[in-house]
Amino acid sequence: MSARSFDLGRAAYYTLNGAIIAFLLAPIAIVAVFALNPTPYISFPPVGITWRWFAKFFANDDFMVSLWLSLRVAVVVLLLSMLIGGACALALVRGRLPGARILTAFFMSPLMLPAILTGLALFQVFQLAELDRPVWGLIVGHTLVAVPYVLRTTLAVLANFDTRVEEAAAILGASPTRVFFEVTLPLIRPGVIAGGIFAFIVSFDQFPISLFLVPPKGETLPVVLFNYMKFDLDGAIAAASMVSILLALSVVLLLERVIGLKAYVKL
Amino acid sequence: MASLADTIPGTLPGPRPARPSVSPIAWLVGPALLLFVVFFVLPFGTMAVLSVLSGNPVQNPNVHVTPRHYARFLGDDLYHDALWSTLRIGIITTCAALLIGYPLAHWMARMKSRLGHALLLMAVIAPMLTGIVVRTFAWMTILQDRGVINTTLIGLGLIEKPLPLMYNELGTVVALVHIYVPFMVLTLTGVIGRIDERLEQAARNLGASRLRAFREVTLPLSLPGILAGSLLVFALSISAYVTPFLMGGTNVLTLPMLIYQQVSSSFNLGFAGALGVILLAVSLVVVIAYNHVLARFSGQEGLT
Repeated sequence: MSARSFDLGRAAYYTLNGAIIAFLLAPIAIVAVFALNPTPYISFPPVGITWRWFAKFFANDDFMVSLWLSLRVAVVVLLLSMLIGGACALALVRGRLPGARILTAFFMSPLMLPAILTGLALFQVFQLAELDRPVWGLIVGHTLVAVPYVLRTTLAVLANFDTRVEEAAAILGASPTRVFFEVTLPLIRPGVIAGGIFAFIVSFDQFPISLFLVPPKGETLPVVLFNYMKFDLDGAIAAASMVSILLALSVVLLLERVIGLKAYVKL
Repeated sequence: MASLADTIPGTLPGPRPARPSVSPIAWLVGPALLLFVVFFVLPFGTMAVLSVLSGNPVQNPNVHVTPRHYARFLGDDLYHDALWSTLRIGIITTCAALLIGYPLAHWMARMKSRLGHALLLMAVIAPMLTGIVVRTFAWMTILQDRGVINTTLIGLGLIEKPLPLMYNELGTVVALVHIYVPFMVLTLTGVIGRIDERLEQAARNLGASRLRAFREVTLPLSLPGILAGSLLVFALSISAYVTPFLMGGTNVLTLPMLIYQQVSSSFNLGFAGALGVILLAVSLVVVIAYNHVLARFSGQEGLT
């Protein structure tokens, strides 16, 4: 192969990949442009820089009430899914359960089954039980789709876990309870925390389940944004989007610090 | 095939006595099991039951079993079209996500520099962590009549009036590809990363061109990843609601849109349930195939 065609192939490869990265990131950059552009409607090219859309977003009661609700729900989902998912991962790997493999696929299934159906099914049950869309129902719905993330990161940590550490502790005289709390738990902690961070963001961004489970005056931020976008497409939405993008970005950076993104992808 | 049992120490090599007894740690599965049975299995069961009942069994004790919701689906072209456009959008999105995701996954899997790898990973994961509502909004600002692409093209004098980039299947697919391509990339990267690079090197040493070595060595070996990633993206895109709703406007009607319509405007829980069961059936087939592919080709990776 001649040097020139070799270079041409490489150039094509990197150009293509550069274009793909641009495709992935450009929409996020464009949202930032519109969040700062002062024209009343979305228009291009931008004509200046303003903070008024952020001001409008933070001054709007509907947005603020829903942002606050979304954050609170996400924190509860984070805690619940860390507890439930972490415990579940330990049981699946260490419990010597018959059918652990099928159980794992079962617990992961909310990620692949349509979330909109999880929302519909829960909505129907609440209707039959004559419960009018309580907040705990929303939390339960989010927890169902958040637990698989914790399960996934914790299972990844457990897969690389050297069980001899626990055996050593036991041989040195530690009771099983002590081994659990002083050896096992600290070792799986990064996996559980990483999963919890994902659970937070999954809950904060969750839409299809929320759509069915929020009452008219208690909507989460994504639902409020969606309803707003049906009629109006102005910079306030872009500003709201920036707020949630920045939140997601800080989460990514946090995740990279806590456990390394690689652990998440190993799955 | 590696299974979970193989990862438990002491059960792997050599003869062993009867199956080791269940450890007390197994009880920790309790909360998850309770949550999933009460709020996942039971609701889906309820959905299936409601789909064959004539009304709400709590309010009306005289309900009877009826196939009429399914008959309604079968008897109306509108619903067939919705099912078909759901599947068609799913298939096109999957193919596009594969074409776009493969080169990136290949680059990432072969990336030697740790920093480069971390940056690429962030570029893939950051969009994934941005909500679907936000990402759909971004695509609306790009593709609408007064959006980035159309105003730029008109400004340059290349076109007279805006191209129809949105409120159709094209816009829907573009946004869906953007939303689900990271799932494709992450699945493929895992599989390509496990292919021994020396195989491709050997083919090249034996005289194959770079392209041929890729086509005849790497590509076939990455087939499980292609299959798993495609099934994942397909399963996700047929259940999308926000994106077809906002990007498709009145020109696109998919099963998830129909389902929400039945609940919000018609308040027909039975028919919504029947549509749900139909969508669920399609998804289950895909999910089972996905688990099968993962279990078959990548051993214990199939667990997660």
